[in-house]
Amino acid sequence: MQERIGFYICHCGINIASRVRCPEVAEYVATLPDVVVSRDYLFMCSDPGQELIEKDIPAYGLTRVVVASCSPRMHENTFRGAVARGGLNPFRCFHHVCVREHVSWVHTDMDEATEKAKTLVRAGVRRVARQADLFPNTFPVNPNTLIVGGGIAGMQAALDIASAGYHVYLVEKQPTIGGHMLQYDKTFPTLDCAACIGTPKMVSVGQNKNIDLLTYAEVEELSGFIGNYTARVRKKARYIDASKCTGCGECTKVCPVDKPNEWDVGTLKRHAVYRSFPQAVPITFVIDKNDRAPCVQTCPAQTNAQGYIALIKAGKYLEATQLILEKLPFPGSLGRVCPAPCEAVCRRKKVDEPLSIRNLKRFAADQVDWDSLPLPPIEKKSEDDRVAVIGSGPAGLSAAYFLARMGYPVSVFEALGVAGGMMRTGIPDYRLPPAILEREIKYIERLGVNLHLNTPIGKDRTVDDLFHQGFRAVFVATGTHGDAKLGIPGEDAQGVMAGVAFLKRQNLAGDARVGEDVVVIGGGAVAIDVARVARRIGAKRVRLYCLEACHEMPAWEEEVHAAKAEGIEIHNTWGPAQILVSEGKARGIEFKRCTRVFDDKKRFSPAYDEAQRQEVCCDTVLVAIGQRPDTSWAEGSNVPLHPRGYVQADERTFATERPGLFAGGEVYTGPSIVVQAVANGHEAAISIDRYLRGEDLLEARPERPKGEQWNPIPDDALPTPRAKMPEIALDQRQGFEEVELGFTEAQALEEASRCIACGTCSECMLCVANCKAQAIDHSMKDEVLNLDVGSVIVATGFDPLDPTPMHEYGYGKYSNVYTNLEFERLSNATGPTAGALLMRDPENRYHFTSPPSSVAILHCIGSRDVNHHEYCSRTCCMYALKYAHLLKDKVGHDVLVYNFYIDMRCFGKGYEEFYRRIQGEGVRMVRGKATRVTDEAESPEEEGKLVVEAEDTLTGKLLRVPVDMVVLCTAMEPRKDTVDVARTFGISIGGDGFFLEEHPKLEPVSTATAGVFLAGACQGPKDIPDTVAQAKAAASMAQALTSLGRVEVQPMVSSIDEDICVGCKVCIGLCPYSAIEFDDRRGISVVNDAVCKGCGSCAGYCPSGAAKIRHFTDRQIFGEIEGLLVARSAS
Amino acid sequence: MIAVAPMPELTDLILEVGGHELQVCMQCGTCTAVCPWPRVKPFSPRQVIRYMAFGFEGFEQEDLWNCVTCRTCVQRCPRGIDLLEVMRAARAVMLESGSGPRTFSGPLASLRTEGNPWAGERQERYGFAAPRPVPPYDTDKDYLFFSCCTQSYDPRNRRVGTAMLDILNTAGVRYGCLGAAESCCGDQARRIGAQDVYDDVKQQNMTLFEEHGVRELIVASPHCLQTINQDYAKGTELHATHYATFFHRLVQDGHLILSKPIEAKVTYHDPCYLGRHAGEYEAPRELLRAIPGLQLLEMPRNRERSLCCGGGGGGIWLDVPSEERFSVLRVQEALRTGAEIIATACPYCTAMLEDAIKNLDVEHALRVLDIAELVAQSMTTEAGQ
Repeated sequence: MQERIGFYICHCGINIASRVRCPEVAEYVATLPDVVVSRDYLFMCSDPGQELIEKDIPAYGLTRVVVASCSPRMHENTFRGAVARGGLNPFRCFHHVCVREHVSWVHTDMDEATEKAKTLVRAGVRRVARQADLFPNTFPVNPNTLIVGGGIAGMQAALDIASAGYHVYLVEKQPTIGGHMLQYDKTFPTLDCAACIGTPKMVSVGQNKNIDLLTYAEVEELSGFIGNYTARVRKKARYIDASKCTGCGECTKVCPVDKPNEWDVGTLKRHAVYRSFPQAVPITFVIDKNDRAPCVQTCPAQTNAQGYIALIKAGKYLEATQLILEKLPFPGSLGRVCPAPCEAVCRRKKVDEPLSIRNLKRFAADQVDWDSLPLPPIEKKSEDDRVAVIGSGPAGLSAAYFLARMGYPVSVFEALGVAGGMMRTGIPDYRLPPAILEREIKYIERLGVNLHLNTPIGKDRTVDDLFHQGFRAVFVATGTHGDAKLGIPGEDAQGVMAGVAFLKRQNLAGDARVGEDVVVIGGGAVAIDVARVARRIGAKRVRLYCLEACHEMPAWEEEVHAAKAEGIEIHNTWGPAQILVSEGKARGIEFKRCTRVFDDKKRFSPAYDEAQRQEVCCDTVLVAIGQRPDTSWAEGSNVPLHPRGYVQADERTFATERPGLFAGGEVYTGPSIVVQAVANGHEAAISIDRYLRGEDLLEARPERPKGEQWNPIPDDALPTPRAKMPEIALDQRQGFEEVELGFTEAQALEEASRCIACGTCSECMLCVANCKAQAIDHSMKDEVLNLDVGSVIVATGFDPLDPTPMHEYGYGKYSNVYTNLEFERLSNATGPTAGALLMRDPENRYHFTSPPSSVAILHCIGSRDVNHHEYCSRTCCMYALKYAHLLKDKVGHDVLVYNFYIDMRCFGKGYEEFYRRIQGEGVRMVRGKATRVTDEAESPEEEGKLVVEAEDTLTGKLLRVPVDMVVLCTAMEPRKDTVDVARTFGISIGGDGFFLEEHPKLEPVSTATAGVFLAGACQGPKDIPDTVAQAKAAASMAQALTSLGRVEVQPMVSSIDEDICVGCKVCIGLCPYSAIEFDDRRGISVVNDAVCKGCGSCAGYCPSGAAKIRHFTDRQIFGEIEGLLVARSAS
Repeated sequence: MIAVAPMPELTDLILEVGGHELQVCMQCGTCTAVCPWPRVKPFSPRQVIRYMAFGFEGFEQEDLWNCVTCRTCVQRCPRGIDLLEVMRAARAVMLESGSGPRTFSGPLASLRTEGNPWAGERQERYGFAAPRPVPPYDTDKDYLFFSCCTQSYDPRNRRVGTAMLDILNTAGVRYGCLGAAESCCGDQARRIGAQDVYDDVKQQNMTLFEEHGVRELIVASPHCLQTINQDYAKGTELHATHYATFFHRLVQDGHLILSKPIEAKVTYHDPCYLGRHAGEYEAPRELLRAIPGLQLLEMPRNRERSLCCGGGGGGIWLDVPSEERFSVLRVQEALRTGAEIIATACPYCTAMLEDAIKNLDVEHALRVLDIAELVAQSMTTEAGQ
C-alpha cells in the first residue's frame, strides 16, 4: 500500500525558529517520497496545532504522521493523542523528531541547524513507514505503599496515605522513627519545639492501623515494576520482644557497657541495651550487638571475656564467675596459668596495651565463696545414660563438668591419688596453689560427678570392661605424662632426671632433690617450671640451656622474665651432645651450637655446628624436652591409637572410630595448654550428649563465632597503662608460696574499665535477669520479610557534614567547637544537659560545666564552597538565627552572639520577619566568612578563648573575635549509602550527590523509575516546611496510582520470536530486570512484558536474532540510519 | 558623598586579558581574612576585586601591586577563583596604560636586553660555577639544569648555585646547561602583568629547548618550576623538577649519601611556589631529616599556612618599609622556635630572609641556608672517603 505521510514542524515560538528556518524544512520535506502534506506552525502542541493533525488525517487520507518539535520527553504523548483521535494507531503511525534540544538549542549557525533539522526529519520519515501497531498493556496496582525512612518526610507521607484508607509499610533503619527533626530543639521561625510538633506525628504513626511500622529494618532489594513491586526487608534482631517489652528501662539500668549515643551525636553515652530517647516509637528497647569480641572468638573455650570483664566493672563478681563457669570449670586455675591467647588479640592495644584479661578472671574467681557458690539448675537425665571419663586432668574434668551440668551421671577414673592431672602434678605450687584447684574440683563434685582416685584403667579394668559395665560413652583424656628422652650418651647416669617426673614428685610428695649446680635442658614452659622449682628446693646455681634463640622459646615470656629475675641463667642456641659421667654420676654436659631449630616449613628439625662445642660442669641434669602419652589405659581393649601413642579422633566432634568412645586433651592434641584441653572436654561433652540422644554429631552444631565488625575504638579511650600484678618480693621467693598476689579491687575495677567493648553487648546476661517482662532473647535472629507494594516513597534524609578534616575550624581539637547538631542536642530537653547551654569540660567530652559568655556561629561550613559542596544547604541561616535566640533566651541577654555569614537567605514564609526579630534581640551580624578558629592568643583578652578570624566585609575591617564557644553550621550532605540506595530503588543521582527528581520543576517527586517517589532531604537540602510539603506531594502521587487501580505500561518492550529462539538462555543472564524466563516445555526463552523495561540488552546480543525490542526493530533503526546517510551523500 | 557611575570599560579590559573569574566573587572576605597583608597594613583583596568589578579608580594605586602571589587566598576561596590570575590581568591593564611602580622599569629593561632582571651580563649567567666546568647540554644528557637568574647573579644565591652543581656532580647525574643562551623563565614579569616581556623570554627559551631537544629540566627555583610546568609545558612534553624534589629522589635511590653530621636546630620555611603552588611540602623536610645530627623544628605557620617571604609577584623589586616586610616577621617566627638555621628552597626566599636577618641585626642567632647548601655540606664526596 502506498503510504501517505503528513509532516509538521513546530517553531516553538522562537525556540526553534531562531535557529532553524522552519518553512524551508517544511518545503524540503514536501519533496520527499510519500509525503503528501508538510506544514510549519508556531506552536504544534497548542490545541490548534493538534487540530491541524486531526483534520489532515481524514482530509489527506494520511497513514503516517511525523512531528518535528521539542524532545519526545515533552510532547510525544501529546501528539500520539492527536494521531489516535485522528483514528490511527499512535505507535504505528506517529514518529517524533527532536529539533529543539538536539538542534536549535545546541547550534549557533542557522544554515547548519536547518540542514541538520532536514537530515533528522528525513530519517524520521523513513522510519515512520516501517512502524507497526502496538497496544499498551495495563496491569492492576497493588494498593500498598512502601515508605523508606521514618523521618518527618516518611512519617508525614505515611500518615497522609493511611488517612486515605490505604496501607503503608514504613521502614526505618534506626530503632526509632523521628529522624533528624526529633533531634532538634526548637524549629524556626515559629520557635515551637520539635518534639511538641514531632512526637504527636510519631505516636500517630505508631498507632495507625493502616501503617505497618518496621523499625531497625532495611530494604535489601526491590523487584517488580510500577504497581507491582516486591521489597525484601531485613528486620534486624532487636533481641527484645516488642510484644512483651513495656519500655520500663530496668534492663538499661544494669547494663555494664557504655558507648556514645548516636541520637545525641557523641554528647551523651548510652548502654548496649538502649532506647534512643524517651519518646522513641516504638518504645521497645534494643540491644546493640556487633560481632563477638576478638577475645571471645580467640579463646579456645570461647569464654565470654568481654562479658565477665563488664560484670567485674559493674562489681558483679559472683555473676562474673558464673559467666566464666558457663564455658570452663577452672576460673581460678586458668586465671593463674592460662597463657591468655585472648590478650594477644585484644584491640585495646591499638590505644595502649591489651587488657590483663587472665588476671581479671583470677580476680573474679577469688572473690566468690566456692563452698556456697550456687549450682546451676540441672535437669537429670536417665540413670542408664552413664558416662565414664578416663583421666581427671583439665580435659577429663571439663567433659565431666559439662556432662554433669546436662544432667548425665558421670564417673571419672583417675590413676593417681589426686585429681587435676597435669594442673596438679605438672604446675608448681607457687604458680597454682593446690587449694585453688581443689576448690574447683570440689565444685565439680558438687555437681554430682563421681571421682574415683587410684583407679587406673588398663590392666585390671579395661575400656571394654567400662562399656560392659553399662557406661554408654567413654571419654579418654589421659594426657601426656611420659617424658621424652634425649637419646644421647650418659642419659641414664645418676643425677639425670626427667622434668615432668621431677615436677610430679615435688608436687605430690614434696621430696624432689637436686644438687647445688643444676642444668635444665629445654626451652618450654615445663623447663622453666623445672628450673624455678630446682631453685626453690636448694640449687645454688640453675642454668637453662635450649636449642631456641630467645625469641623462639616456646615458654611464656612472662615466665621467662620471672625465672631470670629469680637468678636463673638462660643460655640459648645450645643442644646437648652428651652427658659427661664420672663414676656413674653426671658431672657435666657437652653442648654443641644449634644453628637452626625449625626448617623452612616451620617443622622441628634442628641443625648444629659440630665444631662449636662447650663443656658445662654440673651435678644435676633435668631434662624437659617434651612429653609423650602413656598408653597403659588402652591395654586389652580395641582402641584406635596413633603409632606414637596418641588417640585418633575427629577434630570437631572428638569421636573415635569406635562408637561411644571419645578422646580429647593432650592424649589427642599432644602437649598443649590447659584452656585447649578444657575446650576439647566441652566439645566432647556436646558430642557425647548428641550421641546419647541419638542425634547427628555435626548437624546444626553451633559454629565458632566469627566476623570483624566491631565497635569502633571510643575516642575517649585515652592511653592508660595495663594494671601491674603485685608479686611477693624476690628475696622472699624461697618456698612454694604463690608469687603473684592477685589484683586489688581498685586495680581490677580500673583494669576492667579499660575494656573497649568490641562486641558492644557483652552478653553478660544481667539484663535478662532484670527484665520482669521476660522480653529479652539474646538468641534472636534477623528476620527477612517480602512485602508486596504498588508504589515506593524514598525519604531517607541527609547526613550532616563531618567538619573534622577542616582543620582551620578546630573541630575535634578544641572541645568547645560544636557542630549544629551537637548544639541542638545541648539545647534539647532530652539531651546531655537537659536543655542547658553549657560549655564542655576540656578534660571530659561528656561533662558540661558553665554557660558561655560569648558564642560565634559560623555559617556555610562546607556549603557554598567549591572545595566541599557548591550548593547552599538552605537551612543554616535560619537555624543560626534560632541559635542566637536560644542563647539569648537560655543563657541571658548579656551573652554575646556573633553570626558570621556570607549572605543571609531568609526566603520562606515568616523568615525575614524572624531575621528582623533576632537582630532586635541584639545578635551581632558579621558579613564575612569565618576563616579560622584558633586558641593562639594575641592579646590578654584572647587568653583562654577561642578566637574567630574573618573580614567584616561591610566595614572592610579584619576581625579577631574572642569567644567561649563556636558553633559550626555544617552542610547537609547526601547519605553515605546514597549510591547503594539509589541502586536498590533505581533512582538517579544528581551532580550534588542527592537523589535526582525526574524534572526539577515539573516532576519534583518522581524518579527515573515509575512508581518510586522522593520526599525530603534525600532529594536535596531543605527545611521542615519544604520537606513536609514534598512528603505530601509524594503521598498524593502514590495515592493517585493506588486509587486509579490500574497502570498502563508502554508497549516498547522486548519480544522473543518463539519460532526463531533456540533456547540458548544467554538473554536470561543479560537481563538486568530478570524479565526473561525459560519455558522448559517449549525450550525457549519468554519475556514477561510487565517486568521488561525495553533496555535492549537481549536484542543486542541474541545470536539467533529472535529477541527484538518492539518499536526499535532492526528494520526501523536501519530505516532511520539510511535517512541520515542519504543526506550525507547528497550534500 | 559623591555618587559615581560604574566604569564597565575598565572592567571589560581586565576581563579580556584573563580576569574573568572576578565576576563570580561573592565578596565573602575569605581572601582578605587569610591574606598576610592585612596583618601589616590595610589591604583587602576582596575590595580590590570589588573595585575592579565596577572599574572604580583606587585599586590600581598601591594596592594592586601588593599581592605577592602567595596563593593562600586561592587555596581557600569558596568560589574557586584564581585571584592571582585576576591580579595579573588587572596589572597587565595598568602596565599597558603606563601606570606601574617605577622600580619595575629597571628589571624589565634588563630582562629585555640581558634576559635577566638583575642587570647582569648575559655572558655571566653561569659565572657562578667557576672554577667548575659547566657541562654543555646535548641529547645524551638526561636533564637540562636550568639556572634561576637570582641564583646566577645575586651574590648570596650564587653560593647556592655552586652547591647545586656539586651535588649533581657528586651523584653522577647526567645533566647539562645551555649557559648564556638561557633566559629568565619570566615568572616575575608575567606576575606583574608585563606580558610582552614574558612572551619574549618564553619564546627565546622555548626555541632554545626545541633546538636542543630538551624534555626534562632540573630547575633552581620553584618559580621556574611553576612557570615551566604550568605554562611552558602546555601541549609539549616539557617537564621540570625542583631541585629539592630531585635531591630527595637521589637520596632515596642511594645515589646521594648524607653522612656528614650537621649538629644544628633548623626550621624550614616553605616557599609559596614550592608548597602552595606545587604541593611539595614533604620532600624538603625529608631531605633535612636525612641529614645526621640535624634537628628539624616547625614554625607555627607551616606547610599550607606558611607565611610568604614577600618576594613573589614582583615583591622582590618593590621597596617595602621594614616594618611591613613579611620576611622580617618570618625571621622573628623562626627565632621563636629556637632554630639557628632557617632553611628554604627558593632563591627569592633566601635573598629576602637574608636581608631581614641583617635588617633585624640577628646574624649571630640565625642564618639562612638553602637546602642545597645543607645537602652539599652533609653529602659523602669521594674526596671525603
